[in-house]
Amino acid sequence: MNIIEASDLTKVYRRGSELVHALNGVSLFVKAGDFISIVGPSGSGKTAFLNLIGCLDHPTSGTLKLNGIDVTALDERRRVLIRRESIGFIFQQFFLIPTLSARENILLPLTFSKKPVDQSRADEILELVGLSHRKDHLPHELSGGEMQRVAIGRSLINDPKIILADEPTGNLDSENADQVYRIFRDLVNRGYTLIIVTHNTELACKASRVVHLRDGMIVEPKLEPTTPML
Amino acid sequence: MNLFIFALRNLRRRKIRTILTIAGIALSVAVLFSLLAFQAGYEHELNKEVENLGIHMLVVPKGCPYEAASLIMHGGVIPKYLNESELTKIRDIQGVSVATPILLHQFMVNGSPHILYGIESSDMLKIRPQWKIKGRFFSDDEKQVMVAGSTLAEKEGIKVGQKLSFGPNKEPFEIIGILDKTGGQEDEFHFVPLSEGQRVFNKENKITTVAVLTDDIGITGTVADRIEEIPDIQVVTMSQITGTIMNIVGSAKTLLLSMIAVTLTITAFGISNTLLMSVYERTREFGMLKAIGATSVDIGKLVILETLVVTFLGGVFGVLLALLGSGIIETFIRANVPYAPSGSLISPDPGMLILCIGLSVGLGLVCSIYPAIRSARKSPMEAMRSEIS
Repeated sequence: MNIIEASDLTKVYRRGSELVHALNGVSLFVKAGDFISIVGPSGSGKTAFLNLIGCLDHPTSGTLKLNGIDVTALDERRRVLIRRESIGFIFQQFFLIPTLSARENILLPLTFSKKPVDQSRADEILELVGLSHRKDHLPHELSGGEMQRVAIGRSLINDPKIILADEPTGNLDSENADQVYRIFRDLVNRGYTLIIVTHNTELACKASRVVHLRDGMIVEPKLEPTTPML
Repeated sequence: MNLFIFALRNLRRRKIRTILTIAGIALSVAVLFSLLAFQAGYEHELNKEVENLGIHMLVVPKGCPYEAASLIMHGGVIPKYLNESELTKIRDIQGVSVATPILLHQFMVNGSPHILYGIESSDMLKIRPQWKIKGRFFSDDEKQVMVAGSTLAEKEGIKVGQKLSFGPNKEPFEIIGILDKTGGQEDEFHFVPLSEGQRVFNKENKITTVAVLTDDIGITGTVADRIEEIPDIQVVTMSQITGTIMNIVGSAKTLLLSMIAVTLTITAFGISNTLLMSVYERTREFGMLKAIGATSVDIGKLVILETLVVTFLGGVFGVLLALLGSGIIETFIRANVPYAPSGSLISPDPGMLILCIGLSVGLGLVCSIYPAIRSARKSPMEAMRSEIS
């Protein structure tokens, strides 16, 4: 079953007096449990596409279904519910709250979903991202790699089906980047659907499928996916 | 972690900014609270003091009514006197129940001012039946005897039976009584028989004022008019004194309230500016929060909650500051305001406390609405794309 069905998505926005065509008819079907990387040069529409899938933005045209639900024209209130329930976000800059510990940052989404705090779930996630020993540390006491792992943990707390990561290793050295990818692989093995936007072609190739974007369109891949790193 | 705890934790991020904002609000609230407490305390003490005087009016030589008020409230000295002959005229006026002469004279002992209160004890005790004395009061024809006010006695270590050098010729006066604390200015006075006061300070036949009690408080105005027919004297009724003083204080209060309104407006601009700066800096963070499941309402609430915590703390610290600083303020007011009554000038009450803290929180609420709406309305995409991190 396709968990994501994007058909002919376009996104046009205005920058000053200029109209920018960020996406020009992108169609992508993603099965549950897929690990997809989206690559392409700057301005190719990678982030714009990820934002549409993440219900952070409306497409100008086309349709988008998540988990069988047409989310193309949903209002913000219902999109928030979709984001809460079905999508976990990971950002390049981590966006951790500096006054909250690693554990509290992971639990932060529950503040908004008003779900009861499940400490055992938090422990499980901390274990999964390898931070059980750093759970009470504040972000400034953590390394870049550890901060990104906290951010990964935060994306998992609401137990979403889809994880979206925008340049998750953009601020990390190769060792930490590898560690993050190992966690991603682990998540895929646990049944999560993962979509990653990245500039890093070497790491992108470790996904099970690579989508190339150029000028807002999907183009033929020049890279073939290699055996996923375990 | 609920939204409130999250808001509290957020405030710890920019500690200096938060502390400075709280301090700014606290100062404004402290000024407001002090002024309200002073107004209430001053009015209360003044009325109490005037009431304690137990007289309906004072007859003084013609001159400035403020001098007269000062005389009554402080035992101040005016360099004009009435003659005893005028006392007789006053006593003859219909409606006058008691008219008792008072001689006030200020003299220096070791560089500090002391006040002589020359009186006719029998009439005075009719006016002040509440006076209690350790020892006894003098009769009008006694010589070289004195009753001391309680504060004076404490300060100078005066005991009943002791002799005190008094007046320019250092005459030995015997302390025959000490007046119990009345809470008024008289606690500072040296009470002597009128004739002795006049003799020691060479003021024969001279009196500073005549305290008058009428047959009935309702006829005070009529009696005052009759007394004023005597040339070169004026009558000051107690309600006039209270009114005059409260008018002066009232004008000062209006001025101060205007200044506080300006201060609060400046504070409000300060809060708005700090808030806008803060939400602007956190635009991308708000975008992230929306991405992880926060609604626009959550973001708006977060901004408002953070502001309310700051303004509430500002209000509480402001009130505490005012309470702690009330001693200093009172000393300052006493040094600068004429006719300060002797009781506590600062009289805070719970209503005032709630008003000040409520005003502070209300100000926060008003100031936070625009930044909250601005942050809440931004789409997560717009916020995340912002150049500000």
